Amino acid sequence: MREITLSQAVNEALAEEMRRDETVFILGEDVAEAGTPFKVLSGLVEEFGTDRVLDTPISEPGFVGIAVGAAMTGARPVVDLMFGDFIYLVMDQLCNQAAKQHYMSGGKLTVPMVLRTNLGATRRSAAQHSQSLQALVAHIPGLKVALPSSAYEAKGLMKTAIRDNNPVVIFEDKLMYQDKAPVPEEEYLIPFGVANVKREGRDITLIATSSMVQVAEKAAAMLEKEGIDAEVIDPRTIVPLDEATLLDSVKKTSRAIVIDEGHQSYGVTAEIAARLNEKAFYHLDAPVLRMGAMDVPVPFSPALEDLTVPTPEAVVENARKLCAGELIHAA
Amino acid sequence: MPHDETSGFRPHDVTMPQLGMAQDAGKIVSWLKSPGDAVSRGDALFEVETDKAVMEVESPADGFLTGVSYGEGEDVPVGQVIARISDSAEDDGAPAPEPAATGKASDALPEGHTVTMPQLGMAQDTGLLVNWLKAPGDEVAADDILFEVETDKSTMEVEAGRKGFLAATLAEAGEEVPVGDPVAIISDARPEAPVARSAKDGGAPPAPAAPVPAGKDTTEAPAKPAAAAPAPKAPSARGGRILASPKARRLALEQGLDLNRLAEAGHPQPFHVADLEVLRTMPSPAPASAPSETPRRLTATCAVDGLSAFVPWAAETQGLAPDAILAGLAGASLGADGSVTVVVERLGLTRSFSVPPGRSLSAVAETDDAPALIVRDLRGTPISTVALGSEQTPVLTVTDAAAGLVITLECAASALDATAAIRLLTEFAGRMEQPLRHLL
Repeated sequence: MREITLSQAVNEALAEEMRRDETVFILGEDVAEAGTPFKVLSGLVEEFGTDRVLDTPISEPGFVGIAVGAAMTGARPVVDLMFGDFIYLVMDQLCNQAAKQHYMSGGKLTVPMVLRTNLGATRRSAAQHSQSLQALVAHIPGLKVALPSSAYEAKGLMKTAIRDNNPVVIFEDKLMYQDKAPVPEEEYLIPFGVANVKREGRDITLIATSSMVQVAEKAAAMLEKEGIDAEVIDPRTIVPLDEATLLDSVKKTSRAIVIDEGHQSYGVTAEIAARLNEKAFYHLDAPVLRMGAMDVPVPFSPALEDLTVPTPEAVVENARKLCAGELIHAA
Repeated sequence: MPHDETSGFRPHDVTMPQLGMAQDAGKIVSWLKSPGDAVSRGDALFEVETDKAVMEVESPADGFLTGVSYGEGEDVPVGQVIARISDSAEDDGAPAPEPAATGKASDALPEGHTVTMPQLGMAQDTGLLVNWLKAPGDEVAADDILFEVETDKSTMEVEAGRKGFLAATLAEAGEEVPVGDPVAIISDARPEAPVARSAKDGGAPPAPAAPVPAGKDTTEAPAKPAAAAPAPKAPSARGGRILASPKARRLALEQGLDLNRLAEAGHPQPFHVADLEVLRTMPSPAPASAPSETPRRLTATCAVDGLSAFVPWAAETQGLAPDAILAGLAGASLGADGSVTVVVERLGLTRSFSVPPGRSLSAVAETDDAPALIVRDLRGTPISTVALGSEQTPVLTVTDAAAGLVITLECAASALDATAAIRLLTEFAGRMEQPLRHLL
């Protein structure tokens, strides 16, 4: 199968959906004629014109608000938010408007909007352009959250997001845009709420999102050499969350580490760990561990920045302790 | 309250409007009209301040402003009549009763304007009266601070609101007073006998959160009785709490394993599922706790060894295997309704047979199921007597005697009751003595 970059995969998903459905359009900063953020959107304005690929002023609240209104009145906008950190600027449009219109209109309005943005540190972009804020969005009822972990996932999840009648926020890892993966030529969609068991194992479950799936897979390969058989699961969407697959796996392995690049405290890892504790408690032979980003602003210093995110080595170390029955948190 | 029947004019009450969803009272900031003024419908009468905004309250009708019963700076409960629009300037309007003038509290209270517990926050139900800054009988100006109130957010000072005398204090420092309940009375004239009460014995319903009895010791009262009764200590388990994973605990419970034994053996904690293996291989504790579990041991003597003659005949004419015959005879002796599995042990070999109900020895077949009965064939060995103790499954041991056979049944008392044990041994011994009887 041909291999393409995550960037090309997203581009293909957008182009295919725009050809299929003329109500799909793109708006955001620099999406059309100024080079396109992370070069994901290259060529789209040439094919679809400036009526469907709209450059906006530098005003995130403004253009996300436009997208919410367009979605409520029949269009399917895909908003490009250049950095995930800018989500703070559009909290009202996203959380108070997009997330709640369907509910507050008694089901009369829908907001079929996709907010495309990104996450991920270690790009030396400093504290205000390196955050992974998916937990903030996942906390709000009414918003779906997809976290693609490869080019294949990015394309399939994007197409599903565009066809979904609810607001969906997709976080792409900005360090993965040039990563290649096999992507079929023929059309496919990846349903929401269906986790992907990337690797089967019987000793410990590694639940990982976005680029942390690669981290977990590397850790699993290292653990295999030590005789520890790790299962790796990518939930793909954290809202909706495929709880059943995660619980089945943990009931089998009795141990789990949850890995996500958002800050560890009050984060995605905390939520998933809590659900495993609540629903698989009597199957656990060790505490469920969270591995998120360190609870600090992401440092600009490369040496320090690299210390703040989960690494395969750190996952291996924790997995080894859990499997050896070491007391992780003294009572 | 006179009104002109002939003109059809009916006086209109002006009440404190509810300007917010959670508003219980409003403060009159200023009067824009004076008593006796002619007003038109829609004229602003006074300004009200809530926790969010200052609003103007309009006249509901054309007429004259009369019966003004609250002044500037006063907090007025929502719905309370503040004034009246009458058809003449002279109408005194017969103002509505003061909010405090209800219940037994008012019995002996001085006349005057009531100062109530203000609502200082949207979700506030009560205020804690922190302390009084004026004493009963003191002369006060409108902007004098009477007392301090603490809410969940802050401490606020509450002013007298009007000039006069502090004729009564209706709550004590340290008491919680519901919003809107009277806290003080300001009289115009110097009171003859100023009143000081607690909210408990005042007219206001007792504040639910007020923990202290009325009296002078309100500030020291709490916490002392509690100290006399020490909290019960958690019963301390032997050696403290055992650390074990939830799964290890569950499996131990399901399999009847006692984690205390691992702990007593000094096995390192926390225990995980793998440690249960260690627990399983530990020697069982002495069964001291089972006095009634004396194993059963019964022996029967067969004068003749009928089996030795029967087996070669059955093998030759019916093609039956010797062990299957033994299993079939033993299984049938149990008299069970369904198939039973019988293990035959001979010369260190073990074979397991499924014995169906009925008498057909040819229907006996090998199986892997757990046995209900073991036949231990010790014929041809020097062993004459066995007393091996009960095993998990009842055991029939066949040994040679000087003439004939001795058959010993050993089992746990719980495996077979006395009647069943006797019946089994009798049936089996009979079949061993005369196997052909089995087929008849």
